[in-house]
Amino acid sequence: MPTTLKWPLITKQNPKSLIAESYKGLRTNIDFSRLDARVKSIMVTSAALGEGKSTTVANLAIAYAETGRSVLIVDGDLRNPAMHKIFNVSNDKGLSNVLFNTAELEKNIQQSRTMNLSVLTSGPVPPNPSEILGSRQMEALMDEVKSQYDLVILDTPPILPFTDAQVATPLCDGVVLVIKAGGESRKDIAKAMSSLEFVGAQLLGAVLNQANRKTLASAYHEQ
Amino acid sequence: MEIKQYFNIIKKRLWLVLLIVVVITAGTGIYGFMTNTPMYTATAKLVVNSTPSNTNGEPANQLDLGTINSNIQLIKTYEQIIKTPAIMNKVAQENPKLGLTANQLINSINVNSVDETQVMSLTVTDTSYQRAAETVNAVATVFKREIPQIMKLDNITVLDQADPSSSAPPITKSPLLFVLIALVLSVVIGIAVAFLLEYMDDSIKTEEDIRDVLGLPVLGVIAKIKEEDMEAKNTMPAKPLVGGGERANHT
Repeated sequence: MPTTLKWPLITKQNPKSLIAESYKGLRTNIDFSRLDARVKSIMVTSAALGEGKSTTVANLAIAYAETGRSVLIVDGDLRNPAMHKIFNVSNDKGLSNVLFNTAELEKNIQQSRTMNLSVLTSGPVPPNPSEILGSRQMEALMDEVKSQYDLVILDTPPILPFTDAQVATPLCDGVVLVIKAGGESRKDIAKAMSSLEFVGAQLLGAVLNQANRKTLASAYHEQ
Repeated sequence: MEIKQYFNIIKKRLWLVLLIVVVITAGTGIYGFMTNTPMYTATAKLVVNSTPSNTNGEPANQLDLGTINSNIQLIKTYEQIIKTPAIMNKVAQENPKLGLTANQLINSINVNSVDETQVMSLTVTDTSYQRAAETVNAVATVFKREIPQIMKLDNITVLDQADPSSSAPPITKSPLLFVLIALVLSVVIGIAVAFLLEYMDDSIKTEEDIRDVLGLPVLGVIAKIKEEDMEAKNTMPAKPLVGGGERANHT
């Protein structure tokens, strides 16, 4: 089944496209974003809904997996999970199952069709997502997967409507903020940033998503 | 470059501009054509010519300029007199088949002096030419009859009556003109709204915005993905990866 336009795995479908190249560039920049430590776990979030977090997570993960590193995507967006849709896998088992101890970790992680890339989908959506992300079990689980994989990417709900991303901040080495071009107002994004900084997030930087191709082209000329 | 940017702002919200244009123009068109009933005018002409009497009561022969001027001045007075219920009540009473009240008559009649001459024209506007003609003739007749009593001057002659049996083209302007005006105006309004929205939009649009406004490093810029991006534009007959499977090997 080809991925739909709504969930484009462009790094997979058209690895030679300019956009796939941009994800590779993003990968490189994240690798170099911290001098003091190697980034082994990344949290991806955005200020509001629909800015392209999940698409970024999926394509970035593929870009990483292509370098030969073992990559795990954890769908921490327990409110509006998307990873099972993007990778076309079942969501009957996943994160919530592991945390409630109903199954072991290995049984819940699913292999994607990309080499080196595994996915832990959200699992059945629980009634208390933010408590779950802030639980000790979640912390233990992240420690566990970080030891098993070269890179863990955590998808989270948007910051402004939910506290989940703030709660999940300590679980990762760094936070990548997805900003949709022409989306939220500067004020709202600044607000989202400060609520991340408030919980001590290591903001690695931002990804400008759905950028205008023309401004993109001119940006390259200027450089 | 500047013009191109302006053009892009309009292009970006073209749907909005078009919506405004369509709504305003269509609205004007519908309103215009729905309420557009053709109006007709009928005109009667009266001559105001007081013939000064000499002491014998015989009419003087010569017309002097002063008399002519005073007659022209009189037309203004007559206009006011016509447009009073004093005259119009009589017209309404005597012509019940018109079905108009005194006030309706006052509103539908227009009195003018023709080019500063002693000729006074009465014009009635109505939805039916026949009724307009009958009305204007009725007013002219009553006015001619009544004026000697009011002004003590018998100086009105009906020069020309309207002919109720003839027909005349309607005078109302076609609503098309209004539609055209609405079209031009709505384009201007639409463009103004587009620029206003652009001005008020303070979303992040470029890499520079993130760096300068938010003070955040930009790790990557991902262009908007379009359908054609999903297909490899290779000279190689490499198929896009269907089903997320392994890369097809064409060797």
